[in-house]
Amino acid sequence: MRLLARVRSFLSALVLQRRLERDMEQEWEAHLEARAEALAAAGMPRADARRQAGIEFGDPLRWKEQAREARGLGWIQDLRADVQYAFRQMRRAPGFTGVVIATLALGIGANTAIFTVVHAVLLKPLPYEDADLLVRLVENVPAADSTTGARRRGVSMSVAELHELRGRTGAISHAGLASLSFVVISGGEETVRLEGARYSPAIFQMRGVRPLLGRVFDAGDEVPGGDGVIILSHVAWRRYFGGEPAVLGRTLTLEDAFARDAPRRHSVIGVMPQTFEPGGQNQFWIPFPPGVPGAGGDPRGPVVARLADGVSLQSAAAEVGAILSQMRGDEHTDGAVTSSGPPRYELVREKDEIVAPVKPALLVLMVAVGFVLLIACVNVTNLVLARTSARRREFAVRLALGAGRGRVGRQLVTESMTLALLGGLGGTVLAFAGVRLLRALATTLPRMDLGVQLAFPRLDETGIDLAVLAFTSAISLMTGLLCGLAPAIRLSGLDRSDALREGAATADSGVGLFRRSRMRGLLVVAEIGMAMMLLAAGGLLLHSFARLATVDLGYESANVLTFQLALPAEAYPNARLRTFAEDLVSRLRVVPGVRAAAYARQLPLVAIKESGWFRRMPDLPDPPPRQPEGAPDARLVSRDYLSVMGIGVVAGRGFSENDRAGQPRVLLINETLARREFPGQNPVGQQVYAGRDSVPWEIAGVVADVRQFGLDQEPEAQFFADFRQWPAADPVLFTFLGPYYTVRTDVGPMSIIPAVRAGVRELDARAGLYNIATMEQLVANRIARPRMYAVLLGLFAALAAGLALVGVYGVMAYVAAGRTREIGIRMALGAQHADVVRLVLRQSVAITAAGIVLGLAGAVVLTRYLEGMLFGLSPLDPTTLLVVSLAFAAVATLASYVPARRAASVDPLLALRCE
Amino acid sequence: VTTTTELLQGTLDLLILKAISLGPQHGYGILLRIQQVSRDKLHIQQGSLYPALYRLEHQGLIASEWGESENKRRAKFYRLTAAGRRRLQDELRYWHRLSEAIALVLAATPEDV
Repeated sequence: MRLLARVRSFLSALVLQRRLERDMEQEWEAHLEARAEALAAAGMPRADARRQAGIEFGDPLRWKEQAREARGLGWIQDLRADVQYAFRQMRRAPGFTGVVIATLALGIGANTAIFTVVHAVLLKPLPYEDADLLVRLVENVPAADSTTGARRRGVSMSVAELHELRGRTGAISHAGLASLSFVVISGGEETVRLEGARYSPAIFQMRGVRPLLGRVFDAGDEVPGGDGVIILSHVAWRRYFGGEPAVLGRTLTLEDAFARDAPRRHSVIGVMPQTFEPGGQNQFWIPFPPGVPGAGGDPRGPVVARLADGVSLQSAAAEVGAILSQMRGDEHTDGAVTSSGPPRYELVREKDEIVAPVKPALLVLMVAVGFVLLIACVNVTNLVLARTSARRREFAVRLALGAGRGRVGRQLVTESMTLALLGGLGGTVLAFAGVRLLRALATTLPRMDLGVQLAFPRLDETGIDLAVLAFTSAISLMTGLLCGLAPAIRLSGLDRSDALREGAATADSGVGLFRRSRMRGLLVVAEIGMAMMLLAAGGLLLHSFARLATVDLGYESANVLTFQLALPAEAYPNARLRTFAEDLVSRLRVVPGVRAAAYARQLPLVAIKESGWFRRMPDLPDPPPRQPEGAPDARLVSRDYLSVMGIGVVAGRGFSENDRAGQPRVLLINETLARREFPGQNPVGQQVYAGRDSVPWEIAGVVADVRQFGLDQEPEAQFFADFRQWPAADPVLFTFLGPYYTVRTDVGPMSIIPAVRAGVRELDARAGLYNIATMEQLVANRIARPRMYAVLLGLFAALAAGLALVGVYGVMAYVAAGRTREIGIRMALGAQHADVVRLVLRQSVAITAAGIVLGLAGAVVLTRYLEGMLFGLSPLDPTTLLVVSLAFAAVATLASYVPARRAASVDPLLALRCE
Repeated sequence: VTTTTELLQGTLDLLILKAISLGPQHGYGILLRIQQVSRDKLHIQQGSLYPALYRLEHQGLIASEWGESENKRRAKFYRLTAAGRRRLQDELRYWHRLSEAIALVLAATPEDV
C-alpha cells in the first residue's frame, strides 16, 4: 500500500502542484507566526520576533527545492525545463523545426492511416460474441475431382446433411447454412427489390447479437411449410420502412428469386442493428429453407459454424473432415492429412476468410509506410546532426560549466522527442485525411450480381480510436528516440576544451569533413535504397493498373446508363415482361439525349455465367444430354444491344429489324468462338445449332470480343441471339434478376434518369428502378481494388522519393558548404566553374548510384510479394525498374546540382578569407 | 541556542516519527516537542523539518490534515499511519541495537581486546 501512497502523492503533486505550493506557504506562515508569538511572549519586541523567526526558519527557497525532491518531483522540474528549452530552440530555428515536424508528420501520418485500416480489418475481432470461435467449412477440391483444376471453395450442404454432421460431432457447438437471396417486395407504392441472405437460425445464435427490434430466428422458423418470416437490416428498415417500429408484425408480399413458387407472405419479426454486419450488403434475412424430406434437390448453402468451447481449430477440422469424407464417400482422401497437398476439408476462422482477399496487400502497405517512416527518420536524423554540429559551442559551454554528459544527452533526446510528438500530432491530423481518402478509394457499388464483394471488407469499422492513438504515440516516441540518439552519441565524442576553441568549429575540411559526413552519406544511401524499393513497387502497381485500365474491353463504356426494374412478379410472367421491355425501350429511344436503348439478359461484368449448346451443322442436331466442356456463353439481347454497348461488328452484319420471330434465325458469334469453331474459314453464312431445339441458325456476323467476367480475364467464346427469335418454348427468357436495360446517350448518362423514371412510371406506376449505374461506374467498380493499391503505393513511393531527394539535397549542401575553402583554393589555382560543379556532382552521383543499386537489389527480393496484385506484368518487369531508376537518378542529380552551382559561384577571395 | 549537534543521517526521520507517535502535532509543535524532550540538546534548523515531513508523507508513513492549533490558529497536523507505526518500531529496534553496540565499543578498555 505504501507504493499506492507514493503514486498518489506523486500524482497529486503533479496535478495539484500549484495548490500544494500554496498549502506549503500557508503551513510555513503559520509556523513563523507561532514562533514569533513564542518569542514575543518571551519578551522580544514584536517586530524583532518576526524577523528572528524568519532567521531561525532558514531560506524558504532551499526548503522548497528540497520539498519538491521529497515528493519525487525533481525530474519533472528537469523535464519541464528541458521542454521549455526545446521550445525556445525551436523558435530560434523555425525553418529547421518546420521541416522536421512536417517530415515526421508525413511519416507518422502515413503509418497511422494504414495502421487504422490494419487494426480495423486484420486485428480487431469481428463484432460477435466469441468471434474467434466462428469458422467456415472449406473444401480443397483436388484437380482429379474437378474440371477446372484444383481449387478451394466453401462446403455446401443441405439442412438434412448438416443435421447429420451435427449429430456425429461434438467439436462444433453451432452450425448453420448461409446463401444469397434476392426478393421482390410488392404491394407497396413502389415495388422494391432487396439483396439479402438466407440464414439458418443457428447463425444468429452463434453471433449473439441482439436484435434492435423484435426477435431473431429460432428453430421453429426452420420447419418446412411454416409461416414466412423476415428480418430486416437497419439500413433497409430506415430506407424502405421509414424506421418505424410499427414494421414489426407487418406482412410483406415477397417473391423469392430462388423459390419461384407463389409469392409468399412474410411477416417482419425483427430488425438487426448495424453492428450485426457492419458495411454488409445484406438488406434482409429469411430462414434457410430445409427442403422437403426425401426429395432430392434440397437447397444447399455454405456452412458457418462455431467451435465448441475448448476445442482447437485443428482437432475440430480433423474430426469434421473425417466425418464429411465418410458422408460423401470421397475417394481420394479419408479426411486425414495426405502427404501431398492440403487436407480436403478445412475449417477457416471467419475473420480470416473475410479479410483474406486484402490481407497480403495490407501487409505490403504496412511495410511500405514503415519504409516511409524510416526514410523520414533518416532525414530528421541528418537534420538534427547538422544542427548539433552547429550547436557544438553551446554544448561545449554547458559541459565546461559542469553539466554532465548524460544531462546534456537527455536534453538532446528531450528536444527530438518534443519534435517527434509534434510530428505525431501533425501525423494524426494527416491520418484523418488519409483514412478519408482510403474510404473514398475503396467505396464500391455493393451489388451481388457483379460478383464483386466490397473492395475492402470491414472498412466501415475503420476509425481513429484509442488503439490507433496508442500506436501513433508509440511510434512517435520511438521516432524521437531514434532521431535523438545519434546526435546524443555524437556528443559523447565532443571534447569540451577542443570545441571551446574558436578554431575548432571551422576545422572541418579534408579528411575530417569526409569522416564526419560519412555517416550522413551512408544514411542517405540507405534512404535512397528504401525509396527505390518503394518506387519499384509503386511503379509496378501503377504500370499494372494502367494496363488494366486501358485494356480493350470490347465495348464502349462511356455514355451508357444501365438499370434494372422491380415489378410485381405475378403480373409479369416472362412473355409479358418481354413486351414490357420492348415498350419501355421504344419509349426511351425518343427521350431527348438518348441515342439508342436496349435490354439484355446479361451485361458485361455481370458475374453469372450462362453457357449455351452450340454445335456445327454436320453434327447431330439433337443436343447432347449434358452441355459439353467449354460451351460458349449464350447472350440473349434485344435488337439494338450491340450499338448501345458499342460492340463492333467485325464481319457480316448485326441484328436488324427483319430478324423477327418467323424470319430465318440468325446468330452472331464473337471472334474467339469464330477462331475456335471455324479456323481459317469464313463463319458468316454457316449453319449451326444453338440452344435446345434442332432448328438451325445462320451465322450473320462476327462481333468483337468482350471481356465479360473482368478486365483481367481473357474474353471467352460467346454467341448472341435476338430475344425475338429465341424459341418461345424456352421458359426462362430472363434470369431471376430480370433484364438489364441499357441506354446510350449523347449527354451525361446520369442526367436522363428522371426521364427514364417517368417513362417507366407511365408503363407501370408500381415499377421500381434499381441497380442504376453507368457502364463506366461498373468498370471503375471492377478495378477499384487495384486502383486503390496503385494510388496508395504510388503515393507512398512518391513521398519516399521526395523525402530521399530532400536528403540528397541536404547532405550535398552540407558537404559543399564544408568544402568552401578547398573550392576557393582550387578556383584560385585555375579551376573553372564547370570543374567545381563536376567535383560536387561526382560525389552525389556516387551516393545516388550506390543507393539505386541497393534499392534494386532489395526490390528483386521484395517485389515478389506483389505478384498477386499485378496484371500482365512480372514482379521484375525490366521496363518499370529501368524507368524508375533513371527517373530517380535524374531528379537526384538535379537536386544536387543546386548546391553544386552554389559552391562553384563562390568568390575564391572570399572563400579563402572566411577562415 | 548554545550547542549545535549535527544530526546523524536519517535520525531526523526517526525523531519526527517518535514525536508524532506521542500524538498528532503540527510542524512547529513537533520541533518544540523534540526540543523539550531533549532538554534543548538537539537543535534542528526549523525550515529543514518540512522537507523531512513531506518525504515521510510521500512514503505513506504519516498523513496530514488541516486543523486548529491550541492558540486557535489554522495549522496542518500530522499523525502516524499504520505503516508509520510499523516503521517506527523497526527503527527503534534498530537504533537500540546500534546504540548498544556503539556503547560497547566506546566503553571498551585495552583489557577487553
